[in-house]
Amino acid sequence: MAEEKQSGWRWGVNRWIVLGLIILSVFTSQAYPPLQPHIQLPAENVSGPLFMLLGQPFYLTNTLVATLLADIILLLIGFSFWRSSRKSEGQALKGITGVIEGMVEVLYNLTESTAGKWAKTIFPFFATITLLVLVSNWMELIPGVDSIGVFDEHHIAEEAQCDITTYHVLGMELEAVVGGDSECSAGVVPFVRVASTDLNFTLAIAIFAVAGIQVVGLRAQGMGYLTKFWNTSTLFKVPMFGVIDFGVGLIELVSEFVKVLSFAFRLFGNIFAGSVMLFVIGSLVPVFAQSAFLMLEFFVGAIQAIVFGMLTMIFMSQATISHAHGDDH
Amino acid sequence: MDAEAAILIKEGLKLIGAGLAMIGAVGAGAGIGIVASGAVQAMGRNPDATGTIQTNMILGIAFAESIGIFCLVVALLILFVF
Repeated sequence: MAEEKQSGWRWGVNRWIVLGLIILSVFTSQAYPPLQPHIQLPAENVSGPLFMLLGQPFYLTNTLVATLLADIILLLIGFSFWRSSRKSEGQALKGITGVIEGMVEVLYNLTESTAGKWAKTIFPFFATITLLVLVSNWMELIPGVDSIGVFDEHHIAEEAQCDITTYHVLGMELEAVVGGDSECSAGVVPFVRVASTDLNFTLAIAIFAVAGIQVVGLRAQGMGYLTKFWNTSTLFKVPMFGVIDFGVGLIELVSEFVKVLSFAFRLFGNIFAGSVMLFVIGSLVPVFAQSAFLMLEFFVGAIQAIVFGMLTMIFMSQATISHAHGDDH
Repeated sequence: MDAEAAILIKEGLKLIGAGLAMIGAVGAGAGIGIVASGAVQAMGRNPDATGTIQTNMILGIAFAESIGIFCLVVALLILFVF
């Protein structure tokens, strides 16, 4: 009873804090009206050329920083999970690791219900892709991602009128673009930009996923898997339908390449459009309205991560099933 | 035609092209609607199968949505790259 009362009291306080922050944001957005966002597709370099890769200078781009951050977060989660699972000694896990255990169990049950005995092979691909994409999708919800970065005046067009203030904090010179034309926000090269808004990231995962599908298919069926693409078994037995089967095999081959494109563009388009929407809403209605869209993007990020992983998993489990024998559909 | 007018016309045509590219989203919207209506009807008839139907529904929605997303990507490319 006492606990319930206390939690009720705390909720009341939180409500007033939220209201106060909304009122505060009304005044701050009047003092510093938000800038029109500058939207650009390719990732930007946050460092000079680091080393030469195949004769091309290699830059550290801001989406690469986000990818590395997502990797570090996943490694930390994995490490804490490993440590607490060793400490718990067969008991139920507590705290964040318990949540992660539940999530992974849901994913594993999903794999097992679709893939059956191949679940142990397919699950690592599925879980890796889902978790990496999930972490990098949710990075767009963090304030400061996409907006804090290196200031570079060369990116701003010549004729733009910008209002730039320099602050001195702890001996560092911090420059903030506080007003001016929409071109001015191009001057900020963010340290971290959501990895999924870079086509390189999504294309890399898509190629990895589709290559993984072929690997799983070859492991499950041996060389017989390749008859899916080069189907000559019925070509001489039943001439008319044999030709059709052969053509279907070639279409299957094309569809593997289309899978790469559709995987890559689906994730990229969803998350890029989502972050553009967040920028635009944040600059049009700087007060409170973005919260609803942050919630929407939270769900879109989760659903896209699960869809990416689940499609990989379903294609993989389809690849383990032979179509040559007992084909009755 | 002077150069300035040509640039302005190019900008305007880019916007029109991006808008036209998004017409394809009609199909994606209709597709998602059909998928969701079918799934809801199926859930109404067989509430026990809700879990399976939901996963398959989300997959179907993702496939239908991807066409709309391709349109969106084309529109974004027209707006911000070319």
